[in-house]
Amino acid sequence: MTTESQAQPARSTNSGPSVPSDRALAGWEIVSLGSSALIAEWILSAAAGRTRLVVAIPLAFAFVLVITSHVLRKESLRDLGFRFDNSLRAAKLLMLPMIVIAVLCIGLGLIFGTRPDLFRWHPGRPIAGQLALGFAWGFVQQYVLQSFVNRRAQIVWQKGVRSVVLTAFVFSFLHFPNPWLMLVTFIGGLVWAFVYQRAPNLFALAISHSLMTWVIVSTLPMSALNHLRIGFKYFA
Amino acid sequence: MDNKSRARLIHLLISKSMAEALVITAVAVGFYFATTNPNLRGVLDQADNTSITGWAVDESSPSARVEVQLFIDDTFAGDSTANQYRPDVHQAKRAPDDWHGFAFPTPQLSSGDHQARVYAVHTNGEGSRRTLQLIGKPYRFRIGQ
Repeated sequence: MTTESQAQPARSTNSGPSVPSDRALAGWEIVSLGSSALIAEWILSAAAGRTRLVVAIPLAFAFVLVITSHVLRKESLRDLGFRFDNSLRAAKLLMLPMIVIAVLCIGLGLIFGTRPDLFRWHPGRPIAGQLALGFAWGFVQQYVLQSFVNRRAQIVWQKGVRSVVLTAFVFSFLHFPNPWLMLVTFIGGLVWAFVYQRAPNLFALAISHSLMTWVIVSTLPMSALNHLRIGFKYFA
Repeated sequence: MDNKSRARLIHLLISKSMAEALVITAVAVGFYFATTNPNLRGVLDQADNTSITGWAVDESSPSARVEVQLFIDDTFAGDSTANQYRPDVHQAKRAPDDWHGFAFPTPQLSSGDHQARVYAVHTNGEGSRRTLQLIGKPYRFRIGQ
């Protein structure tokens, strides 16, 4: 099912009790996903103490929602971006913004007096292993952000600038209250959402996510990024 | 999306919200019990320009001595243990022995009105979280010129 075909009038016209339109439902899904992330970041991580497992509960609820929504909306894996046929196109689209952002990060880092250090991410871990972990974590984030948020944003506002900005805004807002991280995730969110709408390929986006995280951590001052902490942990 | 799938998705969204509300409630209740000791008793019963005194007992562990912290005008002013001689607390059957009083020497303060608060330090079972519980009521006192 394509996202374009899902847009409908604000209210369905069936004779039964009024049912939210697809647009309203898609908006509700985005809000529900966001609420799960915020509950994990702001309430449970603060209250959980050492029993961090409790943080996984709302995240598990979110994944149940995401996967069930894919099934009910009859979205195939290929629709979602689990594909390789468009890898080259996705890579081409990603290349220029990644180079520009990397150069900007290096420049900003130098302005703030931080020399690039490619081994700063996790000094005790081999960089290849860290990139692999970054790829895995980036893949999960891109899957949720693009295959769910971006596709639902397209149901709300069609393919284009507004849905790209909404996706980037959601991605950025989930990194509240870290101001620098919110800025870089908003910019990254714009790029990735734009590329996904033209070449939906989660593997290319995950590689890009991992590489850009590496670049940002290696170039920008960690004091500004506050060690990538978000939510309640930002104040820890 | 057909109406049946839409209805299922709506049910899922509502169920998810309810489940999350339950999780938050359960965590809030757990958090309350992890950070609060409902068995703490005590009174801040005197404060002047020389000392600030009172008593504190943990009724769930009456033989233990309670760690207490003094705050004057919302600023930390010292910590101590409620292990001073207070036979009146024992006689009033609020403690199993005479040694549950606390006494802080009053620090150098400007003349005028001040407010003292004494908190019991509560450590959760794992020892990973320490919280403060107010003992009795805040005590207002005046330092003369």
